[in-house]
Amino acid sequence: LNGQISRKKKWDIGRLIYMDNISPNEVIKRWRGESNGDEDSDIEDEDAEDADFFKKKNDSATAAQNYDTDLEKFVPYFQTFDKLVQKWNDCKALKGRFVGVPTMKESENAEDNE
Amino acid sequence: MSSRGIGSKSEYLVFQGAQNFRLRIILATLSGQMIKIEKIRSNDLNPGLKDYEVSFMRLIEAVTNGSVIEISYTGTTVIYRPGIIIGGSYTHNCPNSKPVGYYVEPMLYLAPFSKKKFSIIFRGITSSHSDAGIEAIKWGLMPVMEKFGVRECALHTLKRGAPPLGGGEVHLVVDTLIAQPITMHELDIPPIVKIRGVAYSTRVSPSMVNRMIDGAKQVLKNVGCEVNITADVWRGENSGKSPGWGITLVAETKKGWCFFSEEIGNSGDIPEDIGSKVAYHLLEEISISSVVGRNQLPLALTYMVIGKEDIGRLRISQNQIDEKFVSLLRDMKKFFGTEVLLKEVDDPDSNDFIATVKGVGFTNTNKKIA
Repeated sequence: LNGQISRKKKWDIGRLIYMDNISPNEVIKRWRGESNGDEDSDIEDEDAEDADFFKKKNDSATAAQNYDTDLEKFVPYFQTFDKLVQKWNDCKALKGRFVGVPTMKESENAEDNE
Repeated sequence: MSSRGIGSKSEYLVFQGAQNFRLRIILATLSGQMIKIEKIRSNDLNPGLKDYEVSFMRLIEAVTNGSVIEISYTGTTVIYRPGIIIGGSYTHNCPNSKPVGYYVEPMLYLAPFSKKKFSIIFRGITSSHSDAGIEAIKWGLMPVMEKFGVRECALHTLKRGAPPLGGGEVHLVVDTLIAQPITMHELDIPPIVKIRGVAYSTRVSPSMVNRMIDGAKQVLKNVGCEVNITADVWRGENSGKSPGWGITLVAETKKGWCFFSEEIGNSGDIPEDIGSKVAYHLLEEISISSVVGRNQLPLALTYMVIGKEDIGRLRISQNQIDEKFVSLLRDMKKFFGTEVLLKEVDDPDSNDFIATVKGVGFTNTNKKIA
């Protein structure tokens, strides 16, 4: 895992989750490949650096950061209304998740055919 | 170190900050582990515990026997030595800073493993923007419990009470008492068969409710499954002290899992917008989740961890692995020493994972004695 198997380091999320010296925020970033940390440096070094870095940051943790990790907040994060409207303009992406009643259009067509 | 109860571990687990506060108290209670939480908002203008957190600790004290809670003078440090869960009948007056959902939700983690049945009346605000609403608990969290063998639980709405003044009242009844949750396996994404919901109002025109339903239906008309949203208008004494309105939507699957979303309106909000917003949130939540929604995940995983010494499996989606998930898993490991294994599913078309957890073999202390 330490080596450069692929150009971009592919993190094993299962291990990453339990590396306590990396903040949850950073875990997700690294796993999704969004981290701008130095990819070439040794893991240990990087971790130590990050641990320091985040300790400092945590003290002045912003509200936004708390939102990400704090389970006290029950309602999950959603994108803004406008973005969701665009995304779910048609529900095609979710078609596979629903079963049962045919859609209105289909039933209308069926009636028309008769 | 001070004296300790039978079976509890000798060392304090130390945490810092106010985050995951209720979860940590709950996990401490379930594991019998003493904890110390320090630096609670120590850099805040108002340092220390908030009134709702103190109120929550009182509730914990009431439903357990032998718990010791020490709060430092400044309120920035809490020491908690958990007793055993006894449950019973109790009335909890919630401060208006948090709705009843804030208190009911953590009770769901404890109630089935109690000595006596839980029958608790919560008084206060019944809806909010950030905490679980009544329907979210009833139709969103209780179905999760059912999958783990907790079948007899209910939340009765006696009075609704919108913020800011509240005046609501709900009754939590958990009749199922079990030694531990059953081991659960869910490897497939359950298909959704219908969407139902409720739009409610207190002390406002009933037309608000119908307008919310219209807004939601407009969005959901294309999903291709039955949509059934009921109107629930509260009047008179049982409708609390403030005007308010909101909507909860639930997507039900054949297997009993369900996804949900909810929101309440502020003055000035357009009911149609709130209705469609919640509908969009529901679609988004479905797309992000596999078996359980993001806000059901902590409950499901906790039940899995405290299950029998057997391996339980739950399918989760890639998108569900977020910061909250990481912090949840870390806290669970600290208390129980258990790691959740993530395996990619055997399906090239899917990015989902199977979360595999070996239960710690926790047993309801009261069952052991009996």
